[in-house]
Amino acid sequence: MFDRRVIFCARGIKGDMTTRILLVDDHPIVRQGLKTILEGHIDWEIVGEASDGVEAVEKAVRLHPDVIVLDVTMPAMNGLEACRVLRRQLPGLEILFVTQHDSPQMMREALDAGARGYVVKSNAARDLLEAVEAVSQHRAFTALHGKSFA
Amino acid sequence: MVKLRILLADDHEIVRRGLRALLEKHEGWEVCGEASDGREAIEKALQLRPDVIIVDIGMPSLNGLDTTRQLLQHDPQFKIIVLTITDSDQVIREALDAGARGFVLKSDAARDLVSAVEALQNRRMFFTPRVNDLVLAGFLEKGQTVSRDEAPKLPTLTAREREITQLLAEGNSSKEVACLLNLSTKTVETHRSNIMRKLSFHSIRDLVVYAIKNNLIQIDIPSSPKTPTGPTAA
Repeated sequence: MFDRRVIFCARGIKGDMTTRILLVDDHPIVRQGLKTILEGHIDWEIVGEASDGVEAVEKAVRLHPDVIVLDVTMPAMNGLEACRVLRRQLPGLEILFVTQHDSPQMMREALDAGARGYVVKSNAARDLLEAVEAVSQHRAFTALHGKSFA
Repeated sequence: MVKLRILLADDHEIVRRGLRALLEKHEGWEVCGEASDGREAIEKALQLRPDVIIVDIGMPSLNGLDTTRQLLQHDPQFKIIVLTITDSDQVIREALDAGARGFVLKSDAARDLVSAVEALQNRRMFFTPRVNDLVLAGFLEKGQTVSRDEAPKLPTLTAREREITQLLAEGNSSKEVACLLNLSTKTVETHRSNIMRKLSFHSIRDLVVYAIKNNLIQIDIPSSPKTPTGPTAA
């Protein structure tokens, strides 16, 4: 059950401008790496982590993040399926894929599933900040290896 | 107090950042360097002389298993932990053969890597339970450390031929391979012919399949079946 008081308090502490982010990747070490990049931004807050698509949907519904950073290849429910479910359940949520699939076909599939952004893992350290910034403002950001389209 | 110095080799900066954050929480350890492929790992290991080297198997240009082999040829005292996305029998065998003293699944790295580094620091080895089971099973069944009966019977490539196979399978031309390895194009072409002859291959496609099957390169596919790609409601 979604507890509105918790969300209200969290937003109250950080202010209304805080972008609340949920990190989803089946490898804890990758989530740790993503955190080291995102935590440097003063107006962003990591509100939770999940290790598969099922947990991602459950936590997104409970925590109501503004942005979800989502891996494609995960057990239980992969990122594309999770993206479609999230799109239906939380229409205001912005979804950014961070994946090792450096493929236009996979990017197309991610965007068709309802994602706003797509970043390749090998370039995440370079592209992630710009991508989260863009999708949090409801702008698209897609980047394959060496090519980015904000 | 002298710090334990660790070199990280993984092609994903995001993973290196995660590993660094994990390891540097441990008092007395420092990450002395990072490398994004096997060649850079060898260069930095020789230059920095780390106490422990953590090597990802699936790196471009020179994979982690061949990096491990080459590092130990340079100096058998190097202590190497292999990071892998799979603990299939074949990968385990190859990592043990290559001389790794630690074997950690990437998915379990947050839990196991500190224990693995501690083990190597204390001159012990660290393997996942599955590696231990395989080694024990091989010992009990065959009276040797690892059973090789299930290993595919493949012609043996030299270390140089494996390097060239990986680079060709990654899509490099002979000229590009020559440039990367500081060889002449003619030498690379000769190696290429020898590889194709040894493996009885006639196309680069055969070589790519061989490279994937033998962990020279790794590919990643989504865990669930691909869904139709037609437009859906956004």
